[in-house]
Amino acid sequence: MTLSSAQVTWPWTKVESRQRPAETYTLIAQEEYNMENIAEAYIIGDTETSQTSPIRQRRRDFLIKTAGGVLATSVLGAFPTLSRAAEPVNIGGLYPVTGSLAQIGQGCVTAAKLAVQMVNDAGGIKSLGGAKLNLIISDVQSDTTVTRTETERLITDYKLSAIHGCFASALTLIASEVAERAKVPLLTGSSSDQLNKGRSFTFTPFARASQFAQAQLRMSRLVSDKPKVAVIFENTAFGTSTSNGLREQAAGEGVEIVLFEPYSAGFTDASPLINKVKASGANALFSVSYLNDLILIVRTVKQVGLNIAINGGSGGFVIPDFYKSVGKLADGLQGVAHWNHDIDANAQKVNAVYQKLTGEFLFEYAGGLVAQTFMIADALERAASTDPQKVRDAIASLNVSSGYAAMCPGGKVRFGPDGKNVYAHPVGVQWQNGDLASVFPKEDARAPLLKT
Amino acid sequence: MLETVAQAVVNGLLIGGIYALVSIGVTLIFGVVKIVNFAQGEFVMLGMYISFFLATQFGIDPIASLVVSMPVLFVAGVLVQHFLIRRVLGLDDMPQIFLTFALSLLLVNLALMLFTANYRTVHTWYSDESLHFGEINVPVAKLIAFVLAMVLSGALWVFLHTTDLGKAMRASAQNREVAMLMGINPNRVFCIALGVALALAGAAGSLLMPFYPVYPLVGQIFVLMAFVAVVLGTLGNVVGALVASLMMGVAESLGIQFVGADSGLIVVFLMLLLTLAFRPNGIAGGRAR
Amino acid sequence: MIRGLRTRGPVWLGVAAVILLALPLVVKNSFVINIFIRILLFAFIGVAWNLMGGYAKQLSLGHAAYFGLGAYTSTILQIDFGISPWIGMVAGGVVAMLASLPIGALCFRLRGPYFAIATIATAQVLMLIFLKFRDFAWGAEGTTIPNLGNAPFMMQFDAKAAYYYIALGLLALGLAITYLIERSWMGCYLVAIGEDEDAAEAIGVNAPRIKRDIYMISSFLTALAGTFYVQFIYFIDPNIAFNFSISIEAALVSIVGGIGTLWGPVIGTVLLETTSALLQRWLGSSFVGVQLTVYSLILMAVILWRPTGLIGVLTDAYGRLARRDPARA
Repeated sequence: MTLSSAQVTWPWTKVESRQRPAETYTLIAQEEYNMENIAEAYIIGDTETSQTSPIRQRRRDFLIKTAGGVLATSVLGAFPTLSRAAEPVNIGGLYPVTGSLAQIGQGCVTAAKLAVQMVNDAGGIKSLGGAKLNLIISDVQSDTTVTRTETERLITDYKLSAIHGCFASALTLIASEVAERAKVPLLTGSSSDQLNKGRSFTFTPFARASQFAQAQLRMSRLVSDKPKVAVIFENTAFGTSTSNGLREQAAGEGVEIVLFEPYSAGFTDASPLINKVKASGANALFSVSYLNDLILIVRTVKQVGLNIAINGGSGGFVIPDFYKSVGKLADGLQGVAHWNHDIDANAQKVNAVYQKLTGEFLFEYAGGLVAQTFMIADALERAASTDPQKVRDAIASLNVSSGYAAMCPGGKVRFGPDGKNVYAHPVGVQWQNGDLASVFPKEDARAPLLKT
Repeated sequence: MLETVAQAVVNGLLIGGIYALVSIGVTLIFGVVKIVNFAQGEFVMLGMYISFFLATQFGIDPIASLVVSMPVLFVAGVLVQHFLIRRVLGLDDMPQIFLTFALSLLLVNLALMLFTANYRTVHTWYSDESLHFGEINVPVAKLIAFVLAMVLSGALWVFLHTTDLGKAMRASAQNREVAMLMGINPNRVFCIALGVALALAGAAGSLLMPFYPVYPLVGQIFVLMAFVAVVLGTLGNVVGALVASLMMGVAESLGIQFVGADSGLIVVFLMLLLTLAFRPNGIAGGRAR
Repeated sequence: MIRGLRTRGPVWLGVAAVILLALPLVVKNSFVINIFIRILLFAFIGVAWNLMGGYAKQLSLGHAAYFGLGAYTSTILQIDFGISPWIGMVAGGVVAMLASLPIGALCFRLRGPYFAIATIATAQVLMLIFLKFRDFAWGAEGTTIPNLGNAPFMMQFDAKAAYYYIALGLLALGLAITYLIERSWMGCYLVAIGEDEDAAEAIGVNAPRIKRDIYMISSFLTALAGTFYVQFIYFIDPNIAFNFSISIEAALVSIVGGIGTLWGPVIGTVLLETTSALLQRWLGSSFVGVQLTVYSLILMAVILWRPTGLIGVLTDAYGRLARRDPARA
C-alpha cells in the first residue's frame, strides 16, 4: 500500500504527523504485510465460485478461521505492545443479510468486516490510545419493522458511536429516523433524496438519486441522438426517487420519456411489462430495479427480441450476481453506480483482497461502505472521543481528498449542511466481459465505452 | 393495438398454465382431504431446487428432471399426510390451516439454511429463445411449460374419472363416511391425494426452472395466485381451478397492460371479490366436488 | 371459567396488574421493554380477533385490513391536518368500523375456507390500493411521522415506558370488552353462532346482525392497534400496515393460546412472542433461517399436541393441582 505523500501517517487522512518519518515508513511496511495476512487468513482452498454447498462450507471455514484469528490476536494482545490497551469503539452495521436482499447484504457484511480489519491493523484510533473498532452487525432481514427494532436495539445495547447501513433506501430511511432521535450519526450510501431532508445525523458521502437520474439521461445521449426512453421502476423509495429525478430532468437533458411505469417488485413474469415497453416505441429502457426483477426484465427483452438499449440504473444492476444470472446478455449494458472498484488505486487494492475472500469483485455498495468505515475512523480520530454527538460533529467537518476515506468518484469528501457530500457524483458503468467498468463521465472513465 | 392485446392474452395464458398446476394441487387436497394447504408453494420451491441441483450437478435438463421431482414429491406428500395431516383431521379448520402454515414456514427456513437466500437460475439452450408468429412472440420455455402443464392436468382428469383409485378419491371428496362404508380406506386415499397434489407442485417447479429463478421465498407468490384460482374455480373442482388459473393469468396480464404495471394483482383480486359477490361458491357454483 | 378462579380470580388479577404496572419502573433494559410492548400489543390484536374468530368462529385472516386502515387514518390526519393521533386513533377505529360493513356483507355469505380466503383477499386489495395510489397516502414509499421529540399530545414520547402503558391500556380495554361480552346475551349468541350457525338461526338468533356487530367491534379495536403501531415505529408503508403476518399472528395467538377464551390470546402471545424474541437473540446471528426453523417446529409441535390451544394445558394442570374435577377449557 503506497501512500502519496510523506506527510501522511494514517492511510486515510492528511493530518500532520506527530511521529518521526522513520516510524511512518515502518508503519507502511507493516500495513502491506498485514493486508497480505488478511487475505491469507481468509482464503480457503480454491476460489471456485460454484453455486452449491462450498459457499456454506466457505462461510463456516471463514467463521472458524476468523474465530481462530481473533483468538490468536487476543492471546498475543495479552502482551501489550502499545502503552495501554484501550476500550474498543463500537460502530454498528445494519444490513439485510436475509430476505429478498440477502445476497447484497451478505456482501456488505463481508466488506464491513474487512474495512474494520483494515482500520484496526493499521493501529486503530490513535487518538484514543490505539482503540480498535468493534463492528456490531445486525441483520435487518430486508424488513422495515425489523430495521426499526434492530437499529434501536443496537444503539441501546452497545453504546454505538456511529452506524452505517442499510443498502435499501426504504430500510435506511427508517434506520435514519431512529438514529436521528437517538442522536447517533449514520453514514449511508443509499440514494434516496429523502435522506438529506430535515436530518442532522445522517450523512451521505455518495451520489443522490437525482444525480443518478441525470447521469442516466446523459448516458442515453451517448448511444442515440434523440433518445425516447421508457422508464420502469420498482415502486418503493429507491425506484421512486430515481424515477422522479428522471422525470424532472429529462426535458432539460434533451431526452423524451415515452413511458413512465411503476411496477411492484417481485413479479412472476416480465412479459406484460416488456410488452408495454414495446408498444411505447421507446429506443431506450431505463429500469430502476433490484436484482431479481432486473434479471427477468433483461431476459424477457431478449426473448421478445426487442432491440432496445437498456440502462440498468443502479441497485441490482451493479452486483456480480447480475452477470452470473444473465451471462452474456449483460455485456454492453450500461448503468450508473455511486462507487466502482476501478475508480482509484485504493479501490483496486481493496477489490483485490475482497476478490480473494469471496471470489467476486467488490460491488458498489460494499466498496462504498469500506470508505465510510474509514470516514468514521477519521472522525473518531479528530473527535478523540466515542461520544456520538462529538463523532457526529467530526463527521460534519470531514474534509478529505486522499486515502481510503476519500475513496469515491472524484476523490474528495466534504459534507454540506444537509449531510450531502458536495463533491459526490455518480459514475456511469458498463458490463464488459463479466466485469463492471467505469465509462462516464470522462474524468472517471477507466475504460472505453463499448458500442453495442 | 390488436397485437398488444393478443400478446397480452398469450402471455397471460402461458403463465396461467403454471398457476394451474399449483392450484390444481391445492384444490385436489381441499376436495379430498378437506384442508387448505398453505405450504403448496413451498413444494413448488422444492421441485425447483431438485431440478436446479440436477441441472447443475448432472447437467440434466429441468424438463427431463420431471421424472425425478414428481416421484420425490409424491413420496413427500404421502409422508406429510401420514405423519402430520392425519393428526389434525376432523378438528377445527384453524389447527389444520396453521399446521400447514407452520409447515410452510419450516420449509422456507430450511431452504434458507441449506441453500442460502441467493437466487439460482438455470440456463438451457431454449431459455431465451422465442417463437414468432407474426407480431406475437411466444417464449419457448414457457410454451413447453404450458403444454406439459395441460398434459399433466389432462392426465389427472383422466385418472380421477377412469381409474378406480381416482373414483375412490372423488367418492371420499363427496362424502367421506359413505365412502368408508363402501370399503374405501380414507387414509390411503388421502395419502394418494396429497402425493399427487405435491407431485403436481413439483412438476410446476421443474417446469418453471428454465425461465424463473429459485430462492427460498419463491413459493409465496405462486401460492397466493393458486389460492385465488382455487376459490374462483370452486374449491375442490379441478377443471374449475384450471379455467380460473388461465383466466387469472390473462386478467393479470391485461391489467398490467392497460391499467398499470403495478396493477396486475389488483385486477385479479377484484375479479375474485366480484365473483364471490355474485357466486359465493366460485364460478362452478354449487357444492364442491 | 374454572371454578376455583372464580373466587380467587380478582386477587390473581390484582397481583398481575400491580406487577405489570410496576414493571417499567423496575426493568430498564430497552430490549426487554420492547418485547413487552410487542406482547401487549399483539395480545390486544389477538383479543380483538378472538371476539370474532374465537367465539363466533368466523375465522378471518384479513384483520390486517383494519390494522392498516387505523394506521393510515391517524397518520393522514396527523400529517395532512395536524390532528393529534389520540383523536386519529378513534377516527381510525370509526373508519375501520365503516369498512367492516361492506366487507362483512360480502364475506359473511361465504362459509369455511371461502370466508378465510375472501378476508385474505380484502386485506390484499387494500394493500394493493395503498401501494398504487400515492395521491392520498404516499404509495409504496410510505412515510415517516414527523419527529416532534417528546410530544405527549401527539403520541410521541422519549420514554419507552409511555408506549408500554398505552399498550397495557389497550390490552386492558380489549380484555374488559371481551369479559363484558362474554357475560352478556351477545356472548351467548356468539357462541351459538360459532357452534352451529344454522341451528342458532333456527332458534331465532339474528345471525347476520350479530356477526355484523361483532365484526364492527373487532375491527374498531384492531384499528386502535394500528395507530399505536405507527406511532411506535415512526414509519408506515402499505407493506407494514396491511401485512399478512399481522392477520396470521392475530389468529395464531388465539389458536395457540385457546380459541374462544378470555385469556387464550394473552397466553398465546406470551408464548409465541417470547419464544420468537429469545430465538432471535440466541440464534438470530448464526446461520440464517435457524431461528425461524426452530420456531416453526415448536409451532407445529404445539398444534399437533394441543390443537385446541394451550389454555387446555393450564386448566388441566390447575385442576390437577387443586384436586378438583378436571375443568374443561
